[in-house]
Amino acid sequence: MGNKQTVFTAEQLDAYQDCTFFTRKEILRLFHRYRDLAPQLVPLDYTDRPAVTLPYELIGSMPELKDNPFRQRIAEVFSADGDGNMTLDDFLDMFSVLSEMAPRDLKAYYAFKIYDFNNDDYICKSDLEKTVNKLTRNELTPEEVRLVCEKVIYEADADNDGKLSLEDFQRMIVRAPDFLSTFHIRI
Amino acid sequence: FFAEEKLVASLASMSTSERIKAIQKMPETMKKKREIRNKVLKEITKKSRHHCTQLSCCTECLQGAVVRFRRFGNSLSEHFHQLWLWHRVLKIIGAEFGTSVLSYFIFLKWLITLNIFSFLINFGFLAVPQFVAAEPNDLSFKGLELITGAGYFQQTVLYYGFYTNATISKIENGPSYHMQLAYIFTVGIYFVICFLILLFSMAKSFWRNFINPQTYSGNASKLLCTWDFNITSEEAVKLKQKNLSTQIKEDLAEVSREVLSYSVRERVVRIGIHLVSWVASLGTAVAACAGVYFLSINNLKLFVKGRKNDLETQAAMLVLPIVTSLLNTSIPFFYSWLGHLERFQIPGQQIYVTIIRNITLKISIVGILCYYWLNVVAASESQCWETLIGQDVYRLVLVDFIFCLLGSFFGEFLQRIIGTTVCVSRGLPEFDIGRNVLDLIYAQTLTWIGILFSPLLPAIQMISFSIVFYVKMVSLRMNCQPPRKVWRTAQMTTYFILLLFFPSFVGVLSVVGVTVWRLKPSEECGPFRGLPSMYAAVAEWVKTLETYTASKWVVWIYHNLITSELFFFILSALVLIITYLYWQIKEGRKTMTKFLRKQIINVRNDKMFLLKQLRELQRAKHSPSAP
Repeated sequence: MGNKQTVFTAEQLDAYQDCTFFTRKEILRLFHRYRDLAPQLVPLDYTDRPAVTLPYELIGSMPELKDNPFRQRIAEVFSADGDGNMTLDDFLDMFSVLSEMAPRDLKAYYAFKIYDFNNDDYICKSDLEKTVNKLTRNELTPEEVRLVCEKVIYEADADNDGKLSLEDFQRMIVRAPDFLSTFHIRI
Repeated sequence: FFAEEKLVASLASMSTSERIKAIQKMPETMKKKREIRNKVLKEITKKSRHHCTQLSCCTECLQGAVVRFRRFGNSLSEHFHQLWLWHRVLKIIGAEFGTSVLSYFIFLKWLITLNIFSFLINFGFLAVPQFVAAEPNDLSFKGLELITGAGYFQQTVLYYGFYTNATISKIENGPSYHMQLAYIFTVGIYFVICFLILLFSMAKSFWRNFINPQTYSGNASKLLCTWDFNITSEEAVKLKQKNLSTQIKEDLAEVSREVLSYSVRERVVRIGIHLVSWVASLGTAVAACAGVYFLSINNLKLFVKGRKNDLETQAAMLVLPIVTSLLNTSIPFFYSWLGHLERFQIPGQQIYVTIIRNITLKISIVGILCYYWLNVVAASESQCWETLIGQDVYRLVLVDFIFCLLGSFFGEFLQRIIGTTVCVSRGLPEFDIGRNVLDLIYAQTLTWIGILFSPLLPAIQMISFSIVFYVKMVSLRMNCQPPRKVWRTAQMTTYFILLLFFPSFVGVLSVVGVTVWRLKPSEECGPFRGLPSMYAAVAEWVKTLETYTASKWVVWIYHNLITSELFFFILSALVLIITYLYWQIKEGRKTMTKFLRKQIINVRNDKMFLLKQLRELQRAKHSPSAP
């Protein structure tokens, strides 16, 4: 209670609270986590909306992300210019979607974008192969990878075009009730 | 642009909380969401200015007050959340062991919160008024009471026997507190609230994790939807990747293995082995129950015989709880060994069969204890049978807690030592989620049974659960490795809450029901002394209400709704009809989904056919015109 913080104006905090799933305290805590990545680049006063962007290398070195096989894709999906460099807005957006309060459809939308490596709004065979290799640390032979991808497309593709659209992905999510708890990063 | 205008207009017409939820759910970047939000707010102020220009001052003040109130509410809930230190601890567990082990700790945290709530209710409504009218305690306090619960504690608010049946009033002709009614209404309303909490948790769990058993073939979702983003330690990630690749290789190889069929002789042998192990497990359960029953009959003789408070009788009182807990802790190990012996075709079946056997064992032990308490103790010639039951439950809860800690030591610590020094092929033990959750549910069942006889029991359970939380966490990080197989977390969490509700809570409700309606309370102690049954207090109160004209509606409700069978018959018929209607709607929607899915494929095929025709026509048009 009380406006003891000087980082944001009250209006900015209200806007952040309305647009993400975080409370005021969590937003301030996340701001300090963002700042700790590069204290000399990020000012303590955000009231005049400085345009500060942190490079991907710093984001990817966070303890929550550094061992995740998909960290580069996550950063690319949530960054404004698509190359992994994130502003504070992108940072808050990312952890808001990955928090436990985000609804299933929102998480499914972003999970789909993460697995869509070539950004063509479809998960095609090459995207799936890259995903399988990242998930198994390249331990499967190319033949096994191909078999797995064929199985997945056969099972999930409803309109028979050889690739997965967002609707196919969402239908798959409905059958995987664990998705809400696994697509979740606690920060 | 027009779509955005429509979106802004529709958002502006919603209520505040709906609007915030809708903005949060939009899959856009933060910048876009902020722009839309600002546009919506401008639209709202424009609309309000348009409509009520006279009342603009009032509405602005009101809006400002609403915003300030919301901010206050938010900061209050933030401070409340800060009281729990679980966040960091849960994060560490989730990071190293994944979501499945985390679900056990979240369930434990939920039980601790439930016990805190129970303690506050019982303390506030029963113990505090009793302190005002307390009689002095003339027994001396020796240290052993902490474990046996007898002695000094018998004359404290811990047990039913201490509560008075009088109307407590400090000031002459001032407000009075009717202890009898307070006792029965507090316990009754507490159980109703627990029922509602469990019902809503179950419904929410079902809704979130809607399990469609027929479509869980799982390959695609196993690949794309089960990578655990919670895991953030390097070794755990490598381990998970290795497990996933092993599983994929096994799955690809399993396609050829399914075709294998067993000869008749092998099938008979397998069925024989299954039958023998089921007979063995049920036999051990029956033997355990018989042992507990005979031991408890002997236990009762100790109480009725004499009240010497020397060391021998105290120690003899502990034999029953120690033997019960010993059986409860060691027989599950026997069951898992049996499960290893029978070679199940599908590995998942072994877990389910073992859990079912454990549940049967625990239900039968609790059942036999309740039978003993309600039929033997209540009819015995002891002075205060309710306090006896309260003491029995207290001892059981405490010894169960001690055995839980010991089980953690022997189960996990020793297994780690064996796994790393003597028998290195076994490796580190895995955290057995099923067995641990069943232990929690058993402890909570005992607490619920004991609430009527010992109102402050939730406080003890609260402390013991907190200690178990930290001990299990330390043991987990020191001794265990992350689970190898994929454990269907969401499904199992739903089943755990279902288990908590059906056998456990409903069983407790029946025990409490029998106690309140059929058993005669003891003559010399407790708030219901002298009455023919505990429920008679309510009946008498309603009779006194009949003399006041202002409360005639309460009497009418009591006679025509609560005690009339016709009302409950009509209610049950209504519930059945509504259930049937919803079931039919669900079936209709399923058929519709199948039909629509086929339609998608047909439309796609039509599109490809038409495209092919178009291409051929274009080719035919171009080729003759080429000179």
